[in-house]
Amino acid sequence: MKEMKVLLVDDEEEFVKALSERMKMRDVDSEVALGGEEALKTMDEKLPDVMVLDLKMPGIDGMEVLRRAKKAYPGVQIIMLTGHGSEKDEKEARRLGVFEYLQKPVSIEQLMKTVTEAYKKKFEDAMSAAAFAESGEFDTAKEILDRDKK
Amino acid sequence: MEPDRIKRKEVAFFGRITAGITHEIKNVLAIIQESAGLMEDVLEVIEDSAFAHKDKFIKSLDRIRRQIQRGIDITTCLNWFAHSPDRTPVSLDLNETSQQMVLLASRFARLKNVALETSPSDPPIVITSDPVSLEMALFESIEILLRAIDAGGKITLSPRKVQDRCVLGIGYENAALVKEDFPTQISSSERWASLQQTLTYLGGAAKTFGPTPEILLYLPDSIDN
Repeated sequence: MKEMKVLLVDDEEEFVKALSERMKMRDVDSEVALGGEEALKTMDEKLPDVMVLDLKMPGIDGMEVLRRAKKAYPGVQIIMLTGHGSEKDEKEARRLGVFEYLQKPVSIEQLMKTVTEAYKKKFEDAMSAAAFAESGEFDTAKEILDRDKK
Repeated sequence: MEPDRIKRKEVAFFGRITAGITHEIKNVLAIIQESAGLMEDVLEVIEDSAFAHKDKFIKSLDRIRRQIQRGIDITTCLNWFAHSPDRTPVSLDLNETSQQMVLLASRFARLKNVALETSPSDPPIVITSDPVSLEMALFESIEILLRAIDAGGKITLSPRKVQDRCVLGIGYENAALVKEDFPTQISSSERWASLQQTLTYLGGAAKTFGPTPEILLYLPDSIDN
C-alpha cells in the first residue's frame, strides 16, 4: 500500500508520531501534521488520499479543517479520530462529508481497515469519473468528483 | 439564587470538569496504546531473533494492552457518569444504567469480595427520570447491602416489570447467609432513610423483599407523573 498517502493530524505529538510509525511498518506512506494550519499547508503541498483528523486542536480545529478540506479537495477521504466527540459533533462531521467518525483510542487493526476502505472509495470514485469522462459524459464525471464537495 | 439551583449548578460544574478530564485520560491511554503497539510491531518483525528476557518483554506488553483496555472501559464509564447532569429529566434505559453502575461500583464490591452483575430485562425498560438521582439511588442500595454483609456472595441488579410497574431490584445471594432478619436489618440501617428520600424525589419508593434479600426500587414511568 505504499502508493496510499495518509496524513495524520493531531496536536498530541507523541500519539501521532507513534501512530505514523505503526502505519509505516504496515507499508503506508504516512505524514504527520501537529495542528489544523499545518494540515492545510501540507495538503496544499502534498495531497493525501486519506486524512485521519483529530477534532479538538488549538487554532484551526478539526471541524474547520474538515470543512475547508472538503471544499478545496473533495476527493480526499477524511476520518475523524477523537477522544472529545459528542453526538452533535459526529452529526456535523457526517453532514460535512466525513468518511468515518471514530473514538480514540482505536485499535490499529480497526484504523487500518477504515483507512483502507476510505482509500478504496477514493480510488473507485476516481475510476468511475474517468470512465464517464472517457465516454464523453463530463457532467456525470464532474458530479462524481464533486460528490463530497461541501 | 435558590439553594437547589446552586446545587444543580455545582453538580453540572463537577460533571463538566470530570468529563473534560476523562477526555484527557483517553489521550494518555491512546499514547500508551500506540507506543506499546509499536513495540509489538517491532517484536513481530524480529520474531525469529531471540534476546535475553524476551518472554518477560512479551508478557509485559500483553499486561499493558489489557490494562489499557481496562482504563478505556473505566474512563468511558466515568465519562458517561460525568455527563449525567447535562440533561434532566431524560429517557433512561434501565439495563444500560444498571450496567454502567456495575462498572462504577465494582471496586467497592471487590473490597468485600462480592461479585456485582446485572440481569437485563427483555425488552428493555425505558423511563424518564433524573439520571443523577437514579444513579445515586442505585449506588446507595449497593452500599446498604455491602455494609450489611460480611463478605462474599453476589449482588445482582435486575430491572423488571412487576404488575405493570417499573422495578429495579438489587438482590444479594450468598449460600452462607443465614440471617433471617436481614431485610429488617437493611431497612433499619442509617442509609435507608437517605435512600427513601432519593426515591421520594424520583416519585417512587424503596422496599425490601425476602427471604433472598432484595431492595426493590419502584420507579414511575416518568418523574413528571
